Amino acid sequence: MSHQYQAIGWNRQKRVYDIVTLTGVALYIALFISLGTLLFPYATAETLIIRAAGSAAFLLLHVVLCIGPLCRLDSRFLPLLYNRRHLGVVTFLLGSVHAIFAIIQFHSLGDKDPLVSLLTSNQNFRSLPDFPFQQLGFLVFVILFLMAATSHDFWLRNLTPPIWKALHMLVYVAYALLIGHVTLGLLQSETSPVLAVATGAGLVTVLSLHLAAGTRERAVDLKKLNTVTNGFVDACSVESIPEKCAAVVSVSGERVAIFKFDGKISAISNVCRHQNGPLGEGKIIDGCVTCPWHGYQYLPETGGSPPPFTEKVSTFQTQIVDGRVWIDPKPKAPGTRVEPSRISQAGVSS
Amino acid sequence: MIQPLRKTHRRIFLALALLLPLLFLSGLAFRHSWPTPAKPHKSAAHPLPSGATP
Repeated sequence: MSHQYQAIGWNRQKRVYDIVTLTGVALYIALFISLGTLLFPYATAETLIIRAAGSAAFLLLHVVLCIGPLCRLDSRFLPLLYNRRHLGVVTFLLGSVHAIFAIIQFHSLGDKDPLVSLLTSNQNFRSLPDFPFQQLGFLVFVILFLMAATSHDFWLRNLTPPIWKALHMLVYVAYALLIGHVTLGLLQSETSPVLAVATGAGLVTVLSLHLAAGTRERAVDLKKLNTVTNGFVDACSVESIPEKCAAVVSVSGERVAIFKFDGKISAISNVCRHQNGPLGEGKIIDGCVTCPWHGYQYLPETGGSPPPFTEKVSTFQTQIVDGRVWIDPKPKAPGTRVEPSRISQAGVSS
Repeated sequence: MIQPLRKTHRRIFLALALLLPLLFLSGLAFRHSWPTPAKPHKSAAHPLPSGATP
């Protein structure tokens, strides 16, 4: 870290992304409170704020959870993924407003400490309609706090991507708890079918998108490749790879991205060192494989990032035989140079 | 490196796909009261006492 350190590497895309997010949230809250004041004149200002912030956080968490599978199913959604972490932080901030006002309204007027009151005032764990749903909300708040606090690349580097990813998978636990919080809280007191149908529709959307994307990913992992000679496996045909793009195959339990560029073929690990993004869904830009998630770049011949960057991914030996790409399943050490296979007219190259 | 995470993700969502709809539907089914449509007021059913004006 130096005097030139910047906590966030702002660029135009990030600014536009954040402006759209904040404007959308502000409009939603303004509309919610205006309509709430008109339709429910007896509702207090605190109640309207609690519900506006809570529903905005709930909606935004649905958006955050849908972005991942949408990008797996259709690459046109990739721009939404670019700054998804800021959406998550906004979700946490809205949840915080909801939690603070709820504690002020429901737990700050008694003799007990508000937090103690929140955690102990309702102990009906055996009753669904009287279940202590506020404790579920508190757990969601703790998880979202952990995720927002570790969302910066500083933590990603220090925790390493696999641990950071595993930690951030807690979002699914948070979502399950939040469904419980809403179903056993709001939907018990507000019996309008509209609210129940909207919550159910959100739940079905999130679950179906994730299951559809998971099924598609599994098909790639299960595809068996034929072993040919010298331990090489027949990965795909040269023709099936679009220029400056990649075919992704699963080899020895991990995915490999086979890129075609300038009459050559190179294969590198499909896993970006930044956030485990799918390099094989990116393109070659300025001679570098460019991750579709956040733009991290690697040279296809070496798997190393161009200077001054130091990220490296594994490389794989390739051969071209009769218009087919053969690949050695044993990865080379990250950053190891492997000469690209040249696509010749004869169809045989190495 | 990443395949175990993918498997974990898939298993989490298979579990959630079973548990969350169950929780959601149980929460709705066991709530204290279901919404009932408002009944139109029938003046004939509740006649006004004699001498009263509507």
